[in-house]
Amino acid sequence: MKIRTMEYFVREAVSSLRRNGLMSFASVSTVALSLLILGMFLVMVLNLNNMASTLESQVQISVYLQDGLSEHEMREVGTRITKLPGVVQVNFIDKEEAMKRFKQRLGEQQSLLNALGEANPLPNAFEVKVDRTDRVKPVAQAITQLKGVENAKFGQEVVEQLFALTRMVRIFGLVIILFLALAALFIISNTIRITVFARRKEIGIMKYVGATNWFIRWPFLLEGMMLGFGGALVAVLCLNETYGVLIHQVYESLAFLPLIPQYPFITNISVVLLVTGTVIGALGSTISLRRFMKV
Amino acid sequence: MIHLDGVSKIYDNGCVALSDITVDIPKGDFVFVVGPSGAGKSTFIKMIFREELPTKGKLIVNGRNVGELEPSEVPYLRRNLGIVFQDYRLLPNKTVYENVAFAMQVIESSRREIQKRVSHVLDLVGLRHKAKNFPGELSGGEQQRIAIARAIVNNPVVVIADEPTGNLDPETSWEIMKIFERINKDGTTIVMATHDKTVVDAMKKRVIAIEKSRIARDQVKGVYGYED
Repeated sequence: MKIRTMEYFVREAVSSLRRNGLMSFASVSTVALSLLILGMFLVMVLNLNNMASTLESQVQISVYLQDGLSEHEMREVGTRITKLPGVVQVNFIDKEEAMKRFKQRLGEQQSLLNALGEANPLPNAFEVKVDRTDRVKPVAQAITQLKGVENAKFGQEVVEQLFALTRMVRIFGLVIILFLALAALFIISNTIRITVFARRKEIGIMKYVGATNWFIRWPFLLEGMMLGFGGALVAVLCLNETYGVLIHQVYESLAFLPLIPQYPFITNISVVLLVTGTVIGALGSTISLRRFMKV
Repeated sequence: MIHLDGVSKIYDNGCVALSDITVDIPKGDFVFVVGPSGAGKSTFIKMIFREELPTKGKLIVNGRNVGELEPSEVPYLRRNLGIVFQDYRLLPNKTVYENVAFAMQVIESSRREIQKRVSHVLDLVGLRHKAKNFPGELSGGEQQRIAIARAIVNNPVVVIADEPTGNLDPETSWEIMKIFERINKDGTTIVMATHDKTVVDAMKKRVIAIEKSRIARDQVKGVYGYED
């Protein structure tokens, strides 16, 4: 394709955008809104996923030992745990340490413990970390089988609930996104249809003088792509701004929430949105052209 | 140049527009296609530039079998044809120059070539001085001359005209016919459907009369032969 021909295509597309100002505006707005919501869902799902993974990676197994083990026996249990596949760290927490932590957690209500007198009902324990989250369960089960172990617990439930939430948001988001994408597609294809209709005479003449179908299609295809890209650009700018503010707020008040840092996260999402917008635009015009090109 | 061999055209609604037409139009011919309204003239014309497909028979235009042409090959057939309509079909928002240049633009000619050829054909139809005007500012005859300029700007081997003088007064019609005659003298084949008795009778060219979807008459130096 010659550069001059490409210039011609772009000029035609831009002039057509201007001629149908209102429809172009409607298309860009719809695409922008759809993609903004798509972007927000992406941000939400990815952040929830990230949170779940962060929590999951922090999951450790608490191994409670039977009472009355000798120091040798306890060391023996520790060694065996260390030898289990996937175990990366084993910390011994003795009764006294456990009690200290417990008191700390109770804070001002420590006096409740007075009823126990000098007795310490807490068991000796190990804290075990594994390399992969899918190993948490089998390792915990293996530990339970060991001699001298009372039981082994881990915080899998919280993680599983978080993942379930992520899944739900993802499915719900997917449905909404699908609808919005269809709406955007519909609006763009309508805009292009109007353009094609307004220029049907020109298209007819082009056909009579021997223009190929692709030569006729390109300006409309470009117009659709510009509408899609324009909408996506608006969405990307809004999303970037919003996420920036959100991150700032969260860091100030809820610093423990592990949000994904703005860059390159939003940059990546922006690429996804811009590509999606452009593709929706191209698809929209293709739909219209297929029906209206039979001059 | 144009060869029809037993060509029939039956529309989907069962209407027979042409039946078993065999005719040969050699290179450089000037042919009037005449006949009553609805006799099949338009279908005949439209088949040559593959606006319509023959239902039966063989139609060869400039060495291409029109009936078997792939849709993607149609543009290349039309690049060798110039088409002129009764209603001019100019683009109102483009200047005279742009309207003519448009036909070269869409087949991706170079800018220099476009400038050269457009000036040349505007000279030929005598409207170079109106290059910057818009079609709306021109008379019907002038608009048709622009349409002719557009039809011949790509050096077609055949010019097909469907009632080119149908909207014009006799005097203007003559001017238009003079232009067609000049184009024909340069070796371009011309096929023209017309209702213009005066023009046909005066030009003394080959006349093919189509009546009731068949060729009723094919005369070398023919006359119009109808009273309307």
